[in-house]
Amino acid sequence: MVHYKHFAVAVMLMMTSLLALADNTIVVRDAWVREAPPGAPVLAAYFTLENPGSKADKLVAVLCPDFDKIEIHATEIRAGVARMVALDALPIPPHAEVRLAPGGHHLMLHHPRRALAAGMNVKLELRFDSGARLTVVAPVRRAESGAMHH
Amino acid sequence: MTRKSLISATLVAALGVILVLGYLAGRTFRDPARATPIEGMTVLEPAAPLPGFRLHDQNNQVFDLARLQGKWSYVFFGYTHCPDICPTTLVVLRDVQKIAGGKEQGVQYIFVSVDPDRDNAATLKNYVLYFHPEFIGATGGHGELMRLTRALGAYYESGEARGGSYEVHHSAAVFLIDPEAHLRALFAGPHDAARLAQGLQRLKGG
Repeated sequence: MVHYKHFAVAVMLMMTSLLALADNTIVVRDAWVREAPPGAPVLAAYFTLENPGSKADKLVAVLCPDFDKIEIHATEIRAGVARMVALDALPIPPHAEVRLAPGGHHLMLHHPRRALAAGMNVKLELRFDSGARLTVVAPVRRAESGAMHH
Repeated sequence: MTRKSLISATLVAALGVILVLGYLAGRTFRDPARATPIEGMTVLEPAAPLPGFRLHDQNNQVFDLARLQGKWSYVFFGYTHCPDICPTTLVVLRDVQKIAGGKEQGVQYIFVSVDPDRDNAATLKNYVLYFHPEFIGATGGHGELMRLTRALGAYYESGEARGGSYEVHHSAAVFLIDPEAHLRALFAGPHDAARLAQGLQRLKGG
C-alpha cells in the first residue's frame, strides 16, 4: 500500500513536470464578464493570461456564440482623453502575465444575443497564435470599483 | 556678563528658535489649506462660470444651467457604447455616493452622453439608473454639448466608422461644479472614489 502510494506520487510529480516543460501552455485565470445596464449594446470581459513557457504567444481571437462580434481592446488615456483602440492581437511574452482589467485591456463584446445578468455564465473560446485553443467559462458579475473593499 | 553666561544665553535663545520653528512647522502641517494636494485633482482659482446650454435628461426634461445651481455636481462625459471606462467611472461615482452615505444632501451625479446620435432619453435612463436610481443622464445636440464641453475644457470626438460601429473619444476627467454653477475642480483619471469624495469635502471646508 505504502509502495503504491509512493509510486502514485512519483507519477504525479513526473506528469506535473512534463506539463511545466510543455511550451505555450497559456493559463487563463479569473475570467469574468462585466454585467452591463439592461439593453446595453456592448459588454466587456476581463481575465489574466499567464505564459509559463519560454516562447512568446499572442491572443489572436475570441469566439462566443452569445455575441455578434468580439474584439480585443485597449483603453488608452492620452492627454486626458480616453480612447478605445482595437488590437489585432495581444502579445503574451514568455514567463509573463498579461492582465485584462477595468480601465485597461479588455474584450469588447458586441451586441449580446441573449440578456446577460449577474450569475449567468459565458463560454469564451480563446485562440492563440501558436494554434492553441482554450475554452474558459466566464461568470457575469456586477462590477465593484474596489475602493470599498480596502 | 561672564563668558559662561553668554554661552548659556545663546544656547537658550537657539533652543527657543528651534521650538518656535518646530511649532510653526507643526501648525503648517495641520492647516487644511496647506494639506497635501489630492492626487489627480486640479482646483480652479477662481472658479470658472459656465455659459448657458440646453440639454435634456433621461426623462426628457430640460437640463440646463439652472439644473446645476444650488447643488454640487460631479459631471462625467461618456457614451453607452462604451463597455469599459464609462461603467468603471460610474461605479466609482456610485462609491462616492456610498462614501457620502446619503447624509450628503445637495450633491448630484451627472453622466453626459457625447454620442447623441445613438443615445436618447430612453437609452440613458436604462444606463444611468442601473448604477444608481438618483444618477442623472443628459445629452443633446452637438452644438449644445460643445457649449458645455468647451466651457469645462472637456473634449470629445467620434472616431472612424469601423465594422458598422464607431468609438467616441472623450475626456476621462470628472468635473466638479459648485452650487453657483461654476467649475471648481477637475479630477484626472484613473478615478478613485475616496479621492473624489475627499476633494469635495476639502472644497466645502474652505
